[in-house]
Amino acid sequence: MSLKDGRRLLWRHLAPQRVALLRLTAWSALEALPTFFSGLLVAGALDRGFLAGRPLVGFGWLAALAALWVAGAFGTRQVFPWLAAVVEPLRDSLVTVVITASLRRALRDQDTDGGSSITQATVQVESVRALVATLLRTTRQLLASVVAAIAGLAVLSPLLALVVGGFAVLAVLVFMVLLRTLVDRDRRAVLCEERITAVASPLVEGMRDVVVSAAEGRAAQQVGRAIDAQAEASRAYALADALRLPVVTLGAHLPLLALLALSPWLLARGQLGAGQIVGAVVYLVTVLQPAIQVLVNAGGTVLVNLGVILARLAEVSAERPPAPPAPRWTLPGHHLAAEHVTFAYSAHAEPVIRDLTLDLPEGIHLAVVGPSGVGKSTLANLLARLATPQRGELRLGGQPLDDVGDRYLRRTIALIPQEAYVFAGTVRDNLAYLRPTATDTELRRAVAAVGLEETITLLGGYRAEIAPGGGGLSPGERQLIALARTYLSPAAVIILDEATCHLDPVAEARAEQAFAERHGTLVVVAHRISSAMRADRILVMDGADAVLGSHRELLATSSLYADLVGYWDSTASERVTEATA
Amino acid sequence: MATKLTTTLTQFGGSDASADAHRASGNRLLWRTLVQARIRAGLLVAVALLGIATTVLLPAVLAAVIDAALAGHAITHALLRLAVVLAVATAVSALDDLIGSYLGIAVTARLRHRLFGHALALGVPGQRRFPAGDLLSRLAINADSPSNFLPLLLSAGTTSLTAIGGVVGLALIDWRLAATFLLGVPPAVALVHRFIATAGESFSRYQQLLSSVVTRLLDALRGVRTIRASGTADQEIARILRPLRDLRATGREVWMAQGEATWRMSLLAPVIQVLVLSVGGYALTTGDITPGELVASAAYATMALGSVGLLNAFVALLGCQVGAARVAEVLDEQPEVSPPSVPIPVPPGPGRLEFNNVTVRVDERVVLDHLDLSVPPGASVAIVGRSGAGKSVLVSLIGRLLDPAEGTVALDGVPVSRMELAALRRTVTYAFDRPALVGATVHDMIAYSRPEVSRAEVEAAAAAAQADRFIRLLPDGYQTLLRHAPMSGGELQRLGLARAIVADARVIVLDDATSSLDTATEVKIVDALGGILARRTSLVVAHRAATAARADLVAWLDRGRIRVLAPHARLWADPSYRAVFAADWDPEIDWAGSDGVLEAVAET
Repeated sequence: MSLKDGRRLLWRHLAPQRVALLRLTAWSALEALPTFFSGLLVAGALDRGFLAGRPLVGFGWLAALAALWVAGAFGTRQVFPWLAAVVEPLRDSLVTVVITASLRRALRDQDTDGGSSITQATVQVESVRALVATLLRTTRQLLASVVAAIAGLAVLSPLLALVVGGFAVLAVLVFMVLLRTLVDRDRRAVLCEERITAVASPLVEGMRDVVVSAAEGRAAQQVGRAIDAQAEASRAYALADALRLPVVTLGAHLPLLALLALSPWLLARGQLGAGQIVGAVVYLVTVLQPAIQVLVNAGGTVLVNLGVILARLAEVSAERPPAPPAPRWTLPGHHLAAEHVTFAYSAHAEPVIRDLTLDLPEGIHLAVVGPSGVGKSTLANLLARLATPQRGELRLGGQPLDDVGDRYLRRTIALIPQEAYVFAGTVRDNLAYLRPTATDTELRRAVAAVGLEETITLLGGYRAEIAPGGGGLSPGERQLIALARTYLSPAAVIILDEATCHLDPVAEARAEQAFAERHGTLVVVAHRISSAMRADRILVMDGADAVLGSHRELLATSSLYADLVGYWDSTASERVTEATA
Repeated sequence: MATKLTTTLTQFGGSDASADAHRASGNRLLWRTLVQARIRAGLLVAVALLGIATTVLLPAVLAAVIDAALAGHAITHALLRLAVVLAVATAVSALDDLIGSYLGIAVTARLRHRLFGHALALGVPGQRRFPAGDLLSRLAINADSPSNFLPLLLSAGTTSLTAIGGVVGLALIDWRLAATFLLGVPPAVALVHRFIATAGESFSRYQQLLSSVVTRLLDALRGVRTIRASGTADQEIARILRPLRDLRATGREVWMAQGEATWRMSLLAPVIQVLVLSVGGYALTTGDITPGELVASAAYATMALGSVGLLNAFVALLGCQVGAARVAEVLDEQPEVSPPSVPIPVPPGPGRLEFNNVTVRVDERVVLDHLDLSVPPGASVAIVGRSGAGKSVLVSLIGRLLDPAEGTVALDGVPVSRMELAALRRTVTYAFDRPALVGATVHDMIAYSRPEVSRAEVEAAAAAAQADRFIRLLPDGYQTLLRHAPMSGGELQRLGLARAIVADARVIVLDDATSSLDTATEVKIVDALGGILARRTSLVVAHRAATAARADLVAWLDRGRIRVLAPHARLWADPSYRAVFAADWDPEIDWAGSDGVLEAVAET
């Protein structure tokens, strides 16, 4: 996490709003006008008015001050539209960058546990909006106050202005040093807090295993250590915060004391009148001192938070440039073949698929069966080029799969995973996702084929809106939508990866039948063994090895297949028990 | 500030009986945390009082210096007094923050320890009530809110006292000054009211739009595989960001509303100041007050105007309450499985299990219904039944992952509910179909139930579970960190089995623990386990006929009871028994019996 990256990110997204920023500054100047003159006008009211026994003149000066405050309020009113014009586009562009980067990263890494960190990032963009707005207003306030106080003092007495100015500069320098330490310690505290979740999460999710192993004490200790470390880091931050003492002392109190100490000498020399002394003190007490307090309290917090958040956002939105698009091809056919394909999750792992050779002529209906976790989804991914084998080759229409153009490939091979994707939009949007130019007739035909009509009527027709989060549809209904969508698409090879697991057996049979009758190749990763019965050919994945055959052939040759089918040969087992007896 | 106000108010808006009860419990929790940290709390109060004193004194001391200077008297003493008050004020303010922070940090840490410990006590039944994500957010975020309670309370108190002090100070100088100031209070209150009324709607719409962007993104993340397979990434990004247009318009409304309130407030405050100064100036002319007192009155007026900050404090206190209520909700939950009041040690014995009249209800549904089962010691029993029959629930009772609503489960004659809990859990071990990755390294995971065990024992168990080979392929072998070793379902199950072997327990429960293994591996494991299981009692939740066939006896769980306890071969003649194994087919058809599709079962 680097502060510099964070700053650069902010500047990149703030720069397009330069004009609005200028307008904002102009109106802010008007807003600050009364502060400039407050001390002067009060001094005038006292010296020329009340102290001189002319109350009406005094009222006049104060009335002028009131008029200035009205002008200032008008300035405040005009500031906010420009504030919006700066901050809203900033939020928009940051959100766009964060979401684009997050989605692309998830697509690349297939790592979806970043869900919580992504919601965090979006919340953080929102914080940036609020913080930048606060920063803009606070900076204006501060600048105006300090400049006003010093300018006003300069009018009253250049010497005073110089002295106070010097102290103010010192205070700001000390503050900058303090800020560095604060950011470092805040960052450490934030990391420690995240560590608590990181340590607690596997223990909470694996609660069953913890309880069964009588390991509650150890688990509590582990998390306890993370909790204590975070407390320690927070305390370190709180301690650093106490360093504000010198800043306030330097910036506010010492100038005041200095002014008062010098006042008898200044009065005696006739350099300053009583009213001017009072005016100067008014500047210091009502303008400069609160400004320094604001700088140290709110300003410090805002800057520290902003610094840490921007650094994290810079991390999240760091994006590798996209890969150059592959050449376009149209292929003579859709014959899909795998040759001696071997796949393992990493260089250190045993292969999940070993030396698989598979030939899928156009139009074939293949079922893939095997125990859960054996690698059926991995095979589906390889066929759809969502994963690359370590050894061996996959070919589509005679061409190596890697050389096929991305757009063509995605249109030709369709994969439906178990988790059906239904998004916020109309029913039609969801159904026509893979074929936006579909006509109503084609839509209705697809819906009828997979048995979705009833659900669509219940939802309220094709123009009905589905809410984000799936809109109250059952998992089965969502799968039907995904099935209808893929039926409608132009795909020539369709891979169903347990895509009917939430349907009852009858609905599942109907959907699979529809796809089998549709043109093209069908590969079904079976959820129920009955899918195997409907296929032309069955691939049984037994560990990293695989056996291909028809239902009858496999019953005889594969004990795993027989077991999965629920077939048990009591005679075989009797023979075994006899032999071991 | 305003956003927090609206979101907190909307959270508080929904009032039903349980929400009220939680809030009350949350408040009790807040006060309890204070009592526990009473020394620090007391110190904080003392420091805060000192702070008020210095703030109120300051204008008066300042006035004294000015008057002395203007009158030409020696100012040294007055100046010294001023310097001391300023120094004390600064020190007090820093101490105030430091003690407040330390107090808050201690409160949060204590709450987090308690919360996690209680989550562990709630155990497996607790996970249904508080799923993992929910619990973790309470631990990380909600446990932090109560930490600000006392500092906020004090800050609100201080602001109020200071404001009152300011008004009193004004009154002490001249009653007319106080009266002028108080004229400004009704317009200020009216302003805040109007702001909340008009801005509230824009704020909540803004929050809704923002959260709809987040929901769309989360949806897309769940469908990431489809998006990858369909190549529609750009389309998706455009769709997710569609609410941004409305968001910008609503955001602008929010700023405009804030602007309206701010400019009015920014006019009100200085106008009041000017009015006070005018009245003071007039009083100066008539000789009722001194110039120093005029300056003091400007300072007192500023102090009194600080009461605007009370609104922030109020909003923040509401936030505290909400967080505390969410923590209290977990702490108030009674654990379903608790250790016995007078624990008995686990009796020695061969491992006989008796289920007597056991009834278990899950979410008002009766899963086990007056169930009786007798497992002979040393036997291996397969638990068989349709999915959803309650097989996992049944075996969970032995190790007290759950407790029955009625009836008893006894191990070697003693009810498990009366045994010392940790000892029971060492006597009964489980292997699951999806073991959790607990422990830091692979070695830790396998040795999790007996951390003192040697590497040699761990390796022996891993070898028996056919896991040794793939573990050695990992970058650091047994020392590999679990998060650096992605594993397939089958490899994970093998680790789980190794863990169960290491536990060296009297009773072993295999809950679908070999479902992801390929035939070859399963055969080897069964061979290796054969020796280990021979002397122990084992229960195997079985979905496949071959697994049931290997066991000594099969307990057929049907409609909440054990229908029969007999060897698999004898039961296979019954078509409805056969149907259990082919249960994910069309349940009407007896596949194993119909001809033309499967070979007929040989006559037994």
